[in-house]
Formats: sequence, C-alpha cells, structure tokens
Amino acid sequence: MTSLAPARHVILRSPRERIALRLPVRALVVIGLLVLALLALSAVSLATGSYGVSLNELVETLRGITISRAIDNVVWEFRFPRTLAAALVGAMMALSGAALQTVTRNGLADPSLVGVSQGAALAVVAVMVLFPQLGPIYRPWLAFGGSILVAVLIQWLSHTREGSNAIRFILMGLGVSAFISSITSALMTYGEIDRALSALAWLAGSINAATWGDVLTLAGWSAVLLPALLVMSRAMAAMRMGEAAAIGLGAPVQLVRPALVTVAVGLAAIATSVVGPLGFVGLIAPHAARRLAHAGMGFHLVLTALIGALLVGAADLIGRAAFALIQIPAGLLTALIGVPIFIVLLARAQVRPQ
Amino acid sequence: MNDIAASPAPSAPPLRAWSGVPLLIAVLGALFLLHIAVGAKSLPIGTVVDALTAFDPAEFDHVIVMNLRLPRAVIAVVVGACLSVAGALMQGVTRNPLADPGLLGLTAGASFAVVMATALFGLTSMALIPWIAAAGALAAALVVYFIARWVPGGATPLSLTLAGAAISAFLAACISIAHLLSEDTFMNLRVWLTGSLAGRDITVLVYTGPWLAIAMLLSLALARQVTVLAMGDEVAQGLGVRTTSLKLQILVAVVVLTAGSVALAGPLGFIGLVIPHVVRLYVGADYRWIVPYSALAGAAYLLAVDIVARIAIPPQEISTGIITAMVGAPLFVHLVRRRSR
Amino acid sequence: MHAGVGRKDSVAAAPSRLEALSVDAGYAGVGILKGVDLAVPTGKVTILVGPNGSGKSTFLKTLARILAPTAGAVLLDGKDIHQTNTRAVAEKLGLLPQGPVAPEGLTVRELVAQGRYPHQSLLRQWSRADEAAVNHAMKVAGVADLAERPVDTLSGGQRQRCWIAMVLAQETDLLLLDEPTTFLDLKVQVDLMELLASLAHKTGRTLVVVLHELSLAAAYADHLVMMRDGQIVCAGAPKTVFTAERLREVFDLEAHVLDDPVTGRLVCVPFGARARAALPA
Repeated sequence: MTSLAPARHVILRSPRERIALRLPVRALVVIGLLVLALLALSAVSLATGSYGVSLNELVETLRGITISRAIDNVVWEFRFPRTLAAALVGAMMALSGAALQTVTRNGLADPSLVGVSQGAALAVVAVMVLFPQLGPIYRPWLAFGGSILVAVLIQWLSHTREGSNAIRFILMGLGVSAFISSITSALMTYGEIDRALSALAWLAGSINAATWGDVLTLAGWSAVLLPALLVMSRAMAAMRMGEAAAIGLGAPVQLVRPALVTVAVGLAAIATSVVGPLGFVGLIAPHAARRLAHAGMGFHLVLTALIGALLVGAADLIGRAAFALIQIPAGLLTALIGVPIFIVLLARAQVRPQ
Repeated sequence: MNDIAASPAPSAPPLRAWSGVPLLIAVLGALFLLHIAVGAKSLPIGTVVDALTAFDPAEFDHVIVMNLRLPRAVIAVVVGACLSVAGALMQGVTRNPLADPGLLGLTAGASFAVVMATALFGLTSMALIPWIAAAGALAAALVVYFIARWVPGGATPLSLTLAGAAISAFLAACISIAHLLSEDTFMNLRVWLTGSLAGRDITVLVYTGPWLAIAMLLSLALARQVTVLAMGDEVAQGLGVRTTSLKLQILVAVVVLTAGSVALAGPLGFIGLVIPHVVRLYVGADYRWIVPYSALAGAAYLLAVDIVARIAIPPQEISTGIITAMVGAPLFVHLVRRRSR
Repeated sequence: MHAGVGRKDSVAAAPSRLEALSVDAGYAGVGILKGVDLAVPTGKVTILVGPNGSGKSTFLKTLARILAPTAGAVLLDGKDIHQTNTRAVAEKLGLLPQGPVAPEGLTVRELVAQGRYPHQSLLRQWSRADEAAVNHAMKVAGVADLAERPVDTLSGGQRQRCWIAMVLAQETDLLLLDEPTTFLDLKVQVDLMELLASLAHKTGRTLVVVLHELSLAAAYADHLVMMRDGQIVCAGAPKTVFTAERLREVFDLEAHVLDDPVTGRLVCVPFGARARAALPA
C-alpha cells in the first residue's frame, strides 16, 4: 500500500450513462475558491485608484444607482472595462500557454517565449507606424496573422531529423523573438515620435487604456476559441502521452495538432492585440493549476484560465496602485514573477532522450 | 612514448593567418574614416584626414570631426573589439558556441547595476561606473552559471543560454520599472539603455580605457592556453595547464571587457556571438589567432553597423543595438538548430 | 514445457486480421521499407527482430497507422487501415510506442484510464464499463496496488506494466508493442514477456512485438520475423528461422544456436573471430 491518500472523486452518472463523469473533489473546491478570489479581486480593483470609491458606493453603483457623476464615470467607463479586460487577457494567455505546452509536450512553452507575442507585436506596430489611418479594429486580425507566421516559422525551424528537444525549441523561439523585436524597434525609430510613443505604451503590456470595445473584442473571440479548446480537451489529454500513443488511442492527432496551434496562437494574438505582449502568464498558470489540484484535462483548463485571470488582474491592480500616480504595466510585473518560476521549471525539466 | 597526444590543437597555416592581418587593418582604417565622414553633414574623406593629422580649431568641419565624430568612432572601435574578444574567450573556455556576454546575462547584469546605482544612490561619478558595471556583470555571470548547473544535465550550452535569457528578461523588467519610477534620473540613461553609440561621453573612456587595455593584453596573453582548454579540462590538465587559475583569469578578463563596453555604449547584443564565429571560419580553432582577429574584426564590424545605423533611414538614427540584434539573432537560431544535442 | 511453440500447431489457423501488402514507407523522402508483405497470425505472438536500421520499428509504425505507406497498404479486417476512421481502428488495435513518457504527476489509474479514449466522449468519461475495464487491466498487468501512485515515481519495469495496462484497457484484440523491454533488467524483461505471451495464449489476443533481445525473441515468438535493409528476410516458427545461417545473414553475427534441453527453447551463443579460430573444424 502507499502512504499517499487517493484523490477523492465524485462519480456522476445519468441513468443511461449519456453523462458519466468522474469529478475530482479537490479541483471543484479549488475552482470555487478561485472564482471567489477573482470576484474579490475585481471588487478591490473597481474600488481602488486615484479616485477612491468605498465598497458601499461600489455596490450601489453596480446596481445602477448613481451616487455621483464622477463615481459612475470612473467605475463604469474606466475601471470596469479595465478589470474585465485584465481577467479575459489573463485567461486567454494562460490557456494559450496550456495548449502550447500540450502540443509541444514542453513544459517551458509560453506564447511570449516562442515568439508568438512578438509576431503579433510586429504586425501591429508595423501597421500603427506605416499606416496610422488604419483603426484599431484591424489589430486582432493583424496580430493573428503575424503570430501564425511566426508560429509556423518556429515549428519549421525546430523540426530537425533528431526530433525536437525542449530546451532547443525554446532557444529557437528566443532567437526568432530577438530578431522580430529588433525589427519592431527599428520600425518605432522610423515612425513619428507620437505614433512610436503610443506603440511603446502598448508594447510594455499595459492594460491602462482598455475600453468596452476592447472587452467586446476579447469576449467575442473567446466565445469562439474557448469552446473549440474544450472540444479538443480529450484529444489534448491523449496527446500528453506522446504523438504515437495518442494516435494509437484513436485521437485524430493530424487534425487536432494544427487546430490546437491555431487556437493557442489565436488566443495569444487577440490578447496581445489589445494589451500588448504579456510575458510568462501562459508559462506559470498551467503549472500552478497542476500544483493546486490534480484534475483531468477539462478541469485543468478551467483552473488554468482562472489562475491566469487572477494573475493578470492582480498584476494590473498592483501595477497601478502600488506606486500611486505612476502606472507599472502588468507585463513587467508578470515578467518579474515569471522569471523565477521559469528558472525553477527549467531546473526540473526532464531531459528527454528522443 | 606518444607524442601525438601532446601536440596542441591544429593551428591555421601561419602564412594564411598573417596574410589577413594587413587586410583587416586596412578595412578597419577605411571604415574608421568613413564612419567619421558620414552623418547629417557629410564630410569629404580628405577633410577627415586633415582634421586628424593637422587639426585647425578655426575650421568648423575640423571641430565636428574632433568633438563629435571622432569620439563616437573611437568608442565603436573599442567596444566592438572588447565585446568580440569577450565572446571569443567565453566560447573557448565554456566550449559553448552560443556564449556571448549579452546572451549569458553579463550585459544585463552590468546595465542593471549601473541603473540601480544611479536610481538608488544618485551615482554621478564617471570613475565609479566601470566598477559598478563590472560587479553587476560578475554577479550575473555567477547567477547564470549556478542556475545552469542546477538544471539536470548540467551547465550545457543550451541550459546556460536559457538561464542567461531568463536572467536578462528579469533584469530588463527591473530596469523598466526603475525607469518608470524615477523618470528624471533616467533622462540621460534612456538612450544609453537602448545600446546606442550616439552622444557618448568620451570622458568615460578615460576611466575605462586603462582597464580595457589591461584586460585586452591579458586576453592576448591567455589565448594560447584557451586553445588547449577548448579541447577539454582533462586534456588541458594533462598538458600541464592549471585550469582553475586559468579560468579565473579568463573570467576576470571577460567581466572587465564586458563591463567596460557596457559603461561606454550600453547593452549591445550578439557582437560577441557573431564575430568569433566568422573569424573561426578563416583562422580555424587556434585562439592565438582567434583573439586578435576577433578584436580587429569586431572593431570593424561595429563601425560598419554604426554607419548603417546612422544612414539607413535619415533623418532618424536607429539604435546600434537594434542592428546588431538583427544580424546576430538569425546566426543564433542557426547555431541552435545545428546543435545535435 | 514448450511454452511458446508447441501448442498452436494443433489448432487450425484463424484468418489473419492484420496484413501488410507490399508496403513501402520511410521518413521525409528517405525510403526505409521496400515491398514488405506480412500476414500477422491471429491469436499468436509475432516478434520482429533485425539489426539497427533494419526497419522493424518503421514497419510496426506503419502497421499501427502512425506512418502512412508510400506504396502498398495495411489491411485491418480487409480494410485499408490508413483510410479507416482512426478511432474505429483504436477499438480494434492498440499500440504501445517505444520509450513512452507519462506526463509529470499522472497517477497509474489516470494513465490506464487514458486507454479508454476510443470508448468515451466529452460527457461520457467514466461509465461503468470504463471503470471495470480499467480495474481489470490493472489487475492483469499487476499494477492494481500502485493505482494511486504517480507514474513517474515508479521503476522502469513497473512503468512499462502501467503502459501495457493502458493498452489493455483499450480492450482491443490486436496489440502492437515497440521494444517494450528495452533498458529493463533481464528478470523484468522475462516477466513482461511472460505477461505478453499469456495475453496471446490465454485470451486469444494477437500481438506484434518489436524486440532487441534475440534470445527473448526466440523464446517467446510463435512467429518470428527477421528483417534487414527494409525487407523481411525470413519468417516462421523459431525452430525453422532461428538458425546460425540466418543470424549470420541478417545480423552479420557468428553464433551457435543451441536447443536448451530443459525448456525446449532456442538459445544463441555469439562468438567472435578468436573463439571461432579455437573451434574444432
């Protein structure tokens, strides 16, 4: 016998077994707690800022009662979209990381480490600087196109005859990212100073300027991409066993692999198009989810999304509240948290003989 | 009984190696003059030569050359040479083709130390900057090394590079935050941090120059032993090299060269990666040749890059670091891809 | 006594369910297999052996539809396996790939439950049939006691048993295994081969196994297939194909083949040039 207590599960079966699920109790509890934490964080985020709002005032405002014009304006027009955008972006980056880690079977994968965010950034900055008349509506599409190109490039580059090694794949991504970033920087030098400045703010991964329009963009794309990810969750679980084993189990790997890459790139690209590159969220969230609760792929994805939302929400809140008038972009804070975790993960990386 | 094992690494044919030196010096000289000649106001090469040989303070063009253009060209030469030699030594001693002061976090460490000293202690003394940069570079080098040691499989080229990238990302985020928090202090550091040769203060060279010269001489003196070390620690020990003491001396040389370069020009990436690889194509595996060639070629390379940076998209000027990254990153990808491990 | 060889000769051979018809295959334009034909005997242990680069693993991958042939076809129950819905194939044919690595932290039960993939859907992931199959598979493979342990904390032999349990939970009649014994201790190798042989001989499953160890292959094969340079050199009962001439032809190996009087199994004793010089002419 083992000393480890077996994880407890609730088995849910409909009479004719159309629905038959084995639900991990711990994961369900953790999900509940994370939802509560996210709600609490959102409340604090809505109340905090240069214009303080008390909890009572906040509740009244959210119920549609106008206390003052200023409070209405601050809460509804600035903080609410910003809070929602932070949560959505966090969830999207986290899920993108989870999908990339599954596809590449590489625990170090993250959209910003493998060049996906940089590809989106280059495409957006190029258009911001070269064709300033084009509105921000096109940004998600541009970001998506740029990211897909980079993702394909890196897949092609890291595919060698001996198969791909986890660390080499990441290094390849870093090299490509450095190259793309240098082009982005050159473009910003070329552009007029004010355009370059707006691009610069965006590039630091800041959620400052999120509007309801941005929230709609994020929510609309999520409504398409998240169900797609859920449908693929079973195949993702099989693919964690390796490509050959997954095919042996009957998972449609040839179909799911490109679809999964597309969804992962899409999630990262849309999030990037709105707030700029946010590093390390996609790296941390899936690992944190695994530590918090052991669960099948479906619940794992839910946990990952919630953790990502909390992470970026907290980073945004700290970034704007910690130093009062100066706003620290959330992307810088996620990098500060993310790098030490990356190093720990690197130290534990399995060196796989392929 | 077996004298084959005792012979040092195969060296390039001396004639061929020597033949490149005058050529390289000629190219370096030409680029140096060209670098001074081009700019917002183009000057004829003849005027440049006049200004350098027979300076006339009354002549406006001569003043431009001596006060604005010459310092920048000198700094490009010094920084290009130092970073390339640092990269070559690191590649030799760690047997890591991906080694580069920028990639392994030394540059970020030096920048971070200077930024923090400026932000927290209001550092203004030029004399101290090289020392602070050196401390930062050394600390970063050690942290990166110990992280890589911690990775299963040990300090391989790949794990070292990845650890270097992680530390660089971390320090870059710290620098950005410090930047945001005290904007005033950073007015003069801002351009410096992008790795640009524009508007450099030549007085820094007065303080860093002597140290860089000593480190450069030390590098040339150690080059012969690096060739042996590059064949492996056991081989080197078998040939009578005291590897620990040698590695320590090389570390000192690399840190001083990197810190001096960062103090002069800010973080410039990929030069130390690119140049030794190019040089090796010509002179082979002998560090007695690689080190001096890297110095000359690195100086010429940075001059060329800086010329491009200034004339590519007038009237703007691209940061030199952007162009070195644009050239260096593809080579980096190629080297990672080629590694079979 | 004659653990592998003896008893099937008396049973009328069932028709083959898995056939390769002049298959060519390879990677990235480099051809490895050249016109390979094989009818896998039903209810028996077929073992593929050959020197490194002989194409035995490539052949197994082609049989398992991991690799599409460039010419020829693999038929499962008379239908081209590469044209059939992959999930429908997975209900009939299971695969244990070479050197599988379980994701970090996955427990044995979770790994084995993954074998139920072709029988499940998004909302039906733990039916009674699933539960029964997983428990049974763990019992047969001898890992029921380890059910809640993370796979990555187990020994190599235990881990390989978990993977076999996963393939068993798939409840397929045909099992393909790529070098299941590599890097294991000899005792563990023998135990695993005993388990695999009993699957064929007691439950009527059809097994195709790629093996590196010649003596194990000779001991446990009902049908031994020797490959070299992407082609099948010979195939048949070990008694007929496991000979000194064949070993020289296929492996360039100088060896004696002895018949162990106790087990009735064939043993190969390799020798180098020096040993041969000392032999009586």
